[in-house]
This record gives sequence, C-alpha cells and structure tokens, in this order.
Amino acid sequence: MKLDVNALGTFYRMAREGAGLAAGRLTHMTDVETRAGVTKLNFMRGREIRRDFEDSTAKVGVRVELTGAIDGYSVIVFERENALRIVETLLEESATDAEATTDDGELEEFDEMTKSAATEVGNIMNNGFIDGWADVLETVIDVSTPEFIEGHSAETFFDDVEEAPAGDDLALLFQSQIETIETQVGFSHYLFPERESMASLLEQLRASDGIEYDKLDGFDRMAERGAEEVAKTATTLTGIDTSVEIRRLNFVSLETIPEQVPDERLVGVAFEFDGLPSGYLLFLFDEESANEIVDAMVPMEVDEDGFGQMGQSAITELGNIMASGFLDGWANVLDTTIDHSTPEFIHDIGAAAVDPVVIQLGEEQEFAFVFDTVIVADGQEFDCEIYAIPDESDLERALNDLDVDRIEQAPTTAEFQEVTDT
Amino acid sequence: MKTYGTEPGAPTPVQVGISELTVSDGDDTLKSYGLGSCVAIALYDPETEIGGLAHTMLPDGDEAENSDRKPGKYADTAIRALLRRMVERGASYTSVEAKLAGGSDMFEFDSFGDGVGQRNIAAAKAELEKLGVPLVAADLGGDRGRTVEFTPGTGVLMVKSSNEDGTQEVTEL
Repeated sequence: MKLDVNALGTFYRMAREGAGLAAGRLTHMTDVETRAGVTKLNFMRGREIRRDFEDSTAKVGVRVELTGAIDGYSVIVFERENALRIVETLLEESATDAEATTDDGELEEFDEMTKSAATEVGNIMNNGFIDGWADVLETVIDVSTPEFIEGHSAETFFDDVEEAPAGDDLALLFQSQIETIETQVGFSHYLFPERESMASLLEQLRASDGIEYDKLDGFDRMAERGAEEVAKTATTLTGIDTSVEIRRLNFVSLETIPEQVPDERLVGVAFEFDGLPSGYLLFLFDEESANEIVDAMVPMEVDEDGFGQMGQSAITELGNIMASGFLDGWANVLDTTIDHSTPEFIHDIGAAAVDPVVIQLGEEQEFAFVFDTVIVADGQEFDCEIYAIPDESDLERALNDLDVDRIEQAPTTAEFQEVTDT
Repeated sequence: MKTYGTEPGAPTPVQVGISELTVSDGDDTLKSYGLGSCVAIALYDPETEIGGLAHTMLPDGDEAENSDRKPGKYADTAIRALLRRMVERGASYTSVEAKLAGGSDMFEFDSFGDGVGQRNIAAAKAELEKLGVPLVAADLGGDRGRTVEFTPGTGVLMVKSSNEDGTQEVTEL
C-alpha cells in the first residue's frame, strides 16, 4: 500500500468538503449560522487515540458502517458537553424543551429523546461527511443505521470495531471544527477503513510513485524523537520540568497553519533548516510563558520593558538549543544530518510569524505536513508550541530513503559507553 | 452579507481568512488578523459604497492551477475577482479605488531571497496598474505584523500593528 501527496490532498479535500456539507446541514436543522472551521488530517497511533479518550471528559459518538467506495467505520466523537449544547439548541428550535431540560434550562442527561436528537445530529454530520467524500471521489458510499455511543474510554467506542488500529498501527483521523457565531463546536472524526479498501482507494488516487504506507512509521518516530529532545533540552536549560503534551503529525492545506495560531502577541524563535528534509521550524511561546522562561534563565532582576536585550537573547538561546535537539532527533531517525540557520527572534501577532513561511512554501506546494508539538510544565507557565514544516518533496525523498527496520535500533541521543581499562 | 451583532451600529466584523476574499457594502466591517508577509487588498467604490477585502498570500495566480478554486489566494486573481464581484453588485468599475496593507518581511532567511513580502507587494501594485485602479493609500513593508479592518461604506482601512514594547499603533488609511 503506497500513498502520495496527491492522495492525501484528496483526503484533505474530502474532509473539508465533508465538514462544509455537515455545517450546512446543521445550520439547516438548527437555524443557527454555522461554518466549517479548521480542518486537519492527522496520522495517529492506536494507542494515542486511546490516550486522547482518557482525559476524563465524557464523550458521545455516533458510529456508522460504510460500504462501497470505502469499507469500514466512520465515528464522530464530541465532548459530551458540546453534544448537549447542540442538542439543546436543536430542541429549543422544535420547542419541546420543557421536559428535556432542567430548571435552569440546561441539559444534563441524555434521556431517550435527547439521545435520539444527538444521534440525529451525529448522523446528519456523518452523512454530510460521507456525501462530501462521495462527491470528491465521484462515487457512491453506503451508510448503515447510526449507533449512539456514550462513554469515558476508547473501548466503548472502538473495541468491537475490527478495523480500529491496534496500539502501534497508524490511523487516519479527520479533525474538524464547526463554528457558530458565538462558539466553536469541535469534534473528531475517525475513519477506520479496511486495509484492502484503503489500499485500492490510495492506488486510485495516487499520481506519483509515492511512499510505502509503512514508512509513515518513520514520520511518527521523527515526531517522537524531536519532541523528546526539545523537552529534555528545555528542562536542562531552564530548570523547569517540562514534558511533551501533544505531538501530532498533521497534513493540512498551507492556509490552515496561520489560522490555528492564537490571535495574540506571541514570542517566538524561527529557523530555516537545510538537509534532507529542508524546511522551517518555529517555537512560539505565549507572553506569560516567555516571561517565566526569562526569569528562569536570567538570574538577576532585569529592568526591561517587554522583551529587551537580555530577555531576547535568553529566549533566542533557548530556541537555538531546542532547535538543535529537535532536528538532531529527526536526523537520528533518518540517519542523516540537518543544519539550521541562526535564530530569528520575533514578538508579534502569532499568525504574522507563520505566514512568511507558508508563503515561501506556497510557491511550490499546496499542502504541508506539520509536526505539531506542545511542550508544557507542571504547575508553571511554560507553553511552547512547535511547528516544524518540512519541504514536501524533500520529506518524501527522506522517507523513501528510510530503512524502517533500522528505526528501532536508532538511539535517541548519543549513548555513553563504558570505558574499560585494559 | 449577514451580520450578527445585536447592538445596532456595532456589527461584528466579518473575518476574512488567509486566501479568502469578501465583498460587502455600507457599514459592514471586514477584518483580517495577523498579516505578516501577506497583503490585504481593499477595493471600494465611493459612490455606491460597495467594496471588498482580500487576504492574499502569493503573487501570481495565473501561473497556478488552483487559482480558479481559490482566487483570493493570489494578488492578481484576487484583485480581478474582487472587481468582478463588486461590479456584479452594482459598483462602477471606473470609480473603484484601492488601498493596500501588509507585505512585511518578518525574517531574513536565505531561502526567502528578496523577501516574500516584497514579491506580494510588487504583484498587487502591478495588477492594479494593469487594470487602471488607482492606489490611493498604502501601509506596506517593514518587519511588523498587521491586523486590518475595512469598512466599504467609508473606504476607511484601519491598520493596527504592535511595537516591540507592547504599545499598539493604529493607522487610518
């Protein structure tokens, strides 16, 4: 089974188209203006999907079985709170809210009626997605009767699905946001296709030689090693105990990247890197985190407005060392060397820091693989978002050269060997 | 364009995302956040009060195969699409004026050559000149990000940028 950027681009268009149709139908049903927000295509391992479910928030989902152009399962998962809000709006519209809501007018439980309303919403969205896909693929996909699922753990949602990925298997996940004027309703959309069905679909969509699906494993290792190295470096340098919170490989249209950066002033350090692959690397901190880091790294009291000379050089230094760690992590997995430029400090609205990179890459490519990583600290402000955006054709070549069997043995960092006296 | 504000006279700005363009009229405000090297193109016809905003990211759409699908992504195709949609709504081509903002060069990477912002600025200016649309005001270049808000009815383009010390600078074009 092989895939290429064209095939992934088609999947991305399917997700966007699907989200658009789903939003449109939701608007039609609830009379609340909605629009499709950011869409992402993720590769996730089975175990990470399961971990996502263990964040103790209750979730509800609607699951359908697909046959036709895609065989497998499609599952829409909402946080329970979000689902209740949608159902609330829906029931208000149909003016039958008297019984379904509590005294303060807020829904708290799914009874039979709200459950069927939630199933209906999930089903409309599922159908929206699937019709969108069928449009893009110019084919027919049949959908089974929807099943309502409520629970805290992944088992409830996936365990009886044969196609659900095992711990180490990579699955495709579509993440979409549907925005209403006042709020954003985020949800995840999991597609678990049968391997054969997926293989023939990819075969049909592929426009170039592409890469072996199994080599995507290399992606994941790169992301893992890169993130670990950064967290380690940050801890050593600042004395703040940090860990990797999110590590995800997204495939998105370039325009999506600045849109997902917060609309506020951020402090960042940017690099270009060169090798196989080449690309851009950005570390972005919110102002509060950046201040904490400066305090941790600069021992004396500094009397500076904003981020003056001392603050800037501390952050830049940290960024520089984190970049080396991150890219060494990659180079290790890929068995190559990757050089990076001198750091560029930035303190500006988040999107403005990202769009130059997107523009530069946009000359040659429409989509990008983005290695999203978030590093956090326990009990202290240290939120660092890392965007690593490699040049697409370089990345494809790098992965093709990758010997998947070798990855297991590649050490994360240099190991100290015992010196024996002879 | 439908607006959702509840207070009269204070409509919620319509957000124009990267690669998007929107045409509207009157008191509606169109807003684009966090332009770095992107260029915001505002066109309006002072007589009919019809105008539009595009948040463009690349210079040359004629060379790209997807510019039919995403005219707002490229400076040249965005200007033509804005003009066409404005004229369809009743604007008169000959009285349309243009304002531009953005095109900063945030980083000096080797791979960026002369600067990605500069290329966008040049493309937008060239297309306006080709179509005979006068450029009446602009806030371009530099190394700071900008957020813009455009009101077609008045033709006012508000440009906000932040200084290193955190103070905000507002320029009215």
